[in-house]
Amino acid sequence: MPTLRLTPCALAALLLQAPCRADDDVLQRVLVGGSRASVLGVADSANAGTVDQKQLAARTVYRPGELLEATPGLIVSQHSGEGKANQFYLRGFNLDHGTDLRTTLDDMPVNQRSHAHGQGWTDLNFLMPELATRLDYRKGPYSAQHGDFASAGSAAVTYANRLAQGVASASIGQNGYARAAIAASPEVNLGSGSGNLLSALEVLHNDGPFRHPDDYQKVNGVLRYSQGYANNGFSVTAMAYRATWNATDQVPQRAVDAGALTRFDTIDATDGGAARRYSLSGVWRRTGSDSSSKASAYLIRNQLDLYSNFTYFKDDPVNGDQFSQPDRRITSGFNASHTWHAHPAGLQSSVTIGAQLQNDNVFNGLHNTKARRRLSTTREDHVVETSVGLFVDNSTRWTQTFRTVAGLRADHYRFNVASSLAANSGTSNASLLSPSLSLIFGPWKRTDFYVNAGNGFHSNDARGTSSTIDPRSGQAAGKVPGLVRSRGMEFGVRTEIVPKLQTALSLYRLDFDSELTFVGDAGTTEAGGPSRRIGIEFSNYYKALKWLTVDVDVAFARARSRAFSPQGNHIPGAVEGVGQLALTLNQLGPWSGALRLRYFGPRPLIDNNSVRSKPGTTLNGRIAYQLGKTMKVELEGFNLANRRDSAIDYLYASRLAGEPEARDDIHFHPVESRSARLTLVKNW
Amino acid sequence: MIGRRARTLLAATVLACCCAAAWAHQFHVGITDVSFNARTGSTEIVHTYMTDDIDALLANLYQRQFDLTQPEHEAVLRKYIEKRFWMQSADSQRLPIRWVGLRVGAESVVIYQEIENTPLSKTAAIHDEVLTDFIAEQSNTVTLHGKDMITTLIFERKNPDQGVR
Repeated sequence: MPTLRLTPCALAALLLQAPCRADDDVLQRVLVGGSRASVLGVADSANAGTVDQKQLAARTVYRPGELLEATPGLIVSQHSGEGKANQFYLRGFNLDHGTDLRTTLDDMPVNQRSHAHGQGWTDLNFLMPELATRLDYRKGPYSAQHGDFASAGSAAVTYANRLAQGVASASIGQNGYARAAIAASPEVNLGSGSGNLLSALEVLHNDGPFRHPDDYQKVNGVLRYSQGYANNGFSVTAMAYRATWNATDQVPQRAVDAGALTRFDTIDATDGGAARRYSLSGVWRRTGSDSSSKASAYLIRNQLDLYSNFTYFKDDPVNGDQFSQPDRRITSGFNASHTWHAHPAGLQSSVTIGAQLQNDNVFNGLHNTKARRRLSTTREDHVVETSVGLFVDNSTRWTQTFRTVAGLRADHYRFNVASSLAANSGTSNASLLSPSLSLIFGPWKRTDFYVNAGNGFHSNDARGTSSTIDPRSGQAAGKVPGLVRSRGMEFGVRTEIVPKLQTALSLYRLDFDSELTFVGDAGTTEAGGPSRRIGIEFSNYYKALKWLTVDVDVAFARARSRAFSPQGNHIPGAVEGVGQLALTLNQLGPWSGALRLRYFGPRPLIDNNSVRSKPGTTLNGRIAYQLGKTMKVELEGFNLANRRDSAIDYLYASRLAGEPEARDDIHFHPVESRSARLTLVKNW
Repeated sequence: MIGRRARTLLAATVLACCCAAAWAHQFHVGITDVSFNARTGSTEIVHTYMTDDIDALLANLYQRQFDLTQPEHEAVLRKYIEKRFWMQSADSQRLPIRWVGLRVGAESVVIYQEIENTPLSKTAAIHDEVLTDFIAEQSNTVTLHGKDMITTLIFERKNPDQGVR
């Protein structure tokens, strides 16, 4: 190494601590050193965090949606064919397919509102793990910048504009699994300046462990041109995803107990679906010393054909109960925000204003089918749902140990429904104001204390706002409000007082005015009573050694209906506890790996709590060996203990072929049996 | 003697400027020392940048976190530096700068380069837009320690190319 002849005084000057830059609140705190970046003095609550590319890449994921499980306390599972949107659980919620969990990819909403099958439908199968460079999560309605579906939490995935290295991978595994992916971001010169053209392609096949194979076939592509930096530049992105699959829906426990079915048997082999997603989007950001601006726009085309049969022959003993829920939509939207940074009277303060516009033009329906052939139509709807959200928030550091974040959000929705039944057509409007306030005390001895309070909301299915007749029974049905308010309150503490250990503890309460759900399977809206959830979350990240990190997260929640009911006040499906213990090994010579134990707690399946699901535990692991500088071989194992747990349990009545009448029973979808995948990765 | 005085004066000036700038909320500076090592016969280049600035640069370039103690991650910064800092001879040929390594600290990142078997006098011009393309206020001070005199060049966004003589 050459002799250092750097002027000592000049070096001393350079080492003066640099004050924060103008866009500190949006820049990721990266570090050069290897452990997770501290968010002390940065985060607004104990429950918020960022997961970086390295941590995401170290995860063992059976399906792309499980990347979101990097959020402490979040469970992502699948209760049907692999191409269907995942099932989510967080903070004492069974979030179904994404209600109350707001998910975005580069500012594009993933949740689909007024969806044929389930409100907030979150299909993450188009997510490509190789491109995911960070995940930002937060829980509770404490941010004015997050609107619809964000009451339980929000997860924002960011795709890279450019890759540090090109990557190609080929995988093969049990149960018909095969995947090939390639991604690179070469520099290109388009005349107006040099940028990067990110291109990625993925093809995948998976059968799963089911007697009737899923035959899930996926083709997924991304093309992005970007110029400049993330904080001073722009990107334009096109995405295309299409998939087809067979589905093994939930099976009744009685049939498995009697030996008539195995856990992986299929009752209606024609269940399944097809999905397509195409999008065009752009993000532009400009950052100066005293202000920053961001604008993004998107146009998304989603198409889904979904065939399900949950009750078999209960309603139609001849043709069976299969139904289809086609949904075709174009979602367009625009987000803009501007932040001013100021230092009045020695304080550090920033004010952000923003607007979020979204329009969904949806054609969906509910049909009775047999072997995917339409028999009759229950309802067909053309929904135009338009929303405008405006927000302002202020973040001020009053002293070295006291900060506040105060926000106000205003949302206005317009629901327009043209239904196949005139009585269920109509137009309605709904508006809500949502204030929020966070007080942050600290740091003292590397410890922050948080007090958070705020209002949030979720939108209800537009069809529920205009329906006056149950299309299935023909009986009168009550309209429901378009927006449902939530109120949250939270106390939290985050500490790094123990060296190498990042710990966060949250105690929260979340109330909903009404657990409104649109029962897509039945074509009606059910208005539940008000609810309350009280919970505690404890999250730990410990960098025990340079090559070993340990994550321990546990969360418990008590969910109850606040409406009096002689049957009971439990909320069916509400998860009572989740946890994970994860060991991640890195830089252990050519070896790296991870082992993760996931605990999925019990759920009441009926409001009187007389029937409950069993908890489940899943152990996944991966081990990788670096072959030279650019090649890696990796072995992943799923459900290593081969546990016979459920991914989901329901309690309802069904009737199998040959049964004289319908019977109440637990219906479950099994966790996939033990399986392995081998992957060869090449970088350049 | 002249050189030592000039160096001290320069250091004091930089220090004063940095302190003043710090009170004014932010400053972003880089320092590059270029000198000839008679023992090896090579021209040695030592860059010093603030870790915060390098962190922010890489985070906004790749939207991810890097650990510069890992060779494959060091290569990412190397690629950036080599595209934005070079030296030319009088006949406009780029001098072959070799990457030697870097040292990472909590406050600063020090990068070592050298031009093997080449005297400092071969350098006729320098291109430097390290961090100036990312931070508008970035200012890089390049000091060439010649045999008889010290030449100091200040690179900002508006002037990425400067002649040495």
